[in-house]
Amino acid sequence: MPDASNNRENWAVWVGSLLALVAVMCNVVFFVNLPGLWAIAWLSMLLSVVALIFLGLGLKHAFGRPVVYRRKILSSVLSLVSLLLVGVAIFASFSARAMPTSAGAPQIGQRVPDFTLADTNDQPVSLAQLLAQAGKDSKVTPAKSVLLIFYRGYW
Amino acid sequence: MAISVDPPQVSRDLCRKAGYTFTVLSDPNAEVIRRYHLLHAGGGPDGHDIARPAEFLVDSSGMVRWVNFTEDVRVRARAAEMLAAAKGLR
Repeated sequence: MPDASNNRENWAVWVGSLLALVAVMCNVVFFVNLPGLWAIAWLSMLLSVVALIFLGLGLKHAFGRPVVYRRKILSSVLSLVSLLLVGVAIFASFSARAMPTSAGAPQIGQRVPDFTLADTNDQPVSLAQLLAQAGKDSKVTPAKSVLLIFYRGYW
Repeated sequence: MAISVDPPQVSRDLCRKAGYTFTVLSDPNAEVIRRYHLLHAGGGPDGHDIARPAEFLVDSSGMVRWVNFTEDVRVRARAAEMLAAAKGLR
């Protein structure tokens, strides 16, 4: 008969695993167009760090005091899986931020350089052309401006 | 209007699928992207050079009135945010 002290649940591992799962799931939220995604990006990073602390604590419980805490194997497996999840969450955070700072890019108050590029019908279109259109056309809402969006591409 | 290194055919597919009616331009050699200091060397899925995400609101004189350089590719400028900036110009 195991006594009561040999039956304690290793809650730190469970908490750590749950946090690791939420940290990874944060990345799913980015596919939804919501305000405040900055908070989610930081939350994912914060949860990853806290999850690591709990997983470390849980493993210390399982192996440091095996007499007190039960389910040593379950703890180890769960921790290993959770560590992988934390790794994915941290990798996602770092790779999403791995970008040049674009210090030399045009800033507010500066004029942007003109250019001519092919549109989807292979026809040349210049920025000057679009700006001239924006200046004239008062029917478009909002008038008098062109929004220039540089994006990574479609894949 | 939008710019990427995608060739016109790829952008055409994107516009058709997403229903975009604004101008989408192709900068396959990243010349304009480089001139705007927005090159993310080796940032593409197969390691080719692409643009980092950036949004500029340019008035009819060609001057930048609002700008957004994200530090996290998962967090982009929202349409509402950009429209509000454009409406603020009037």
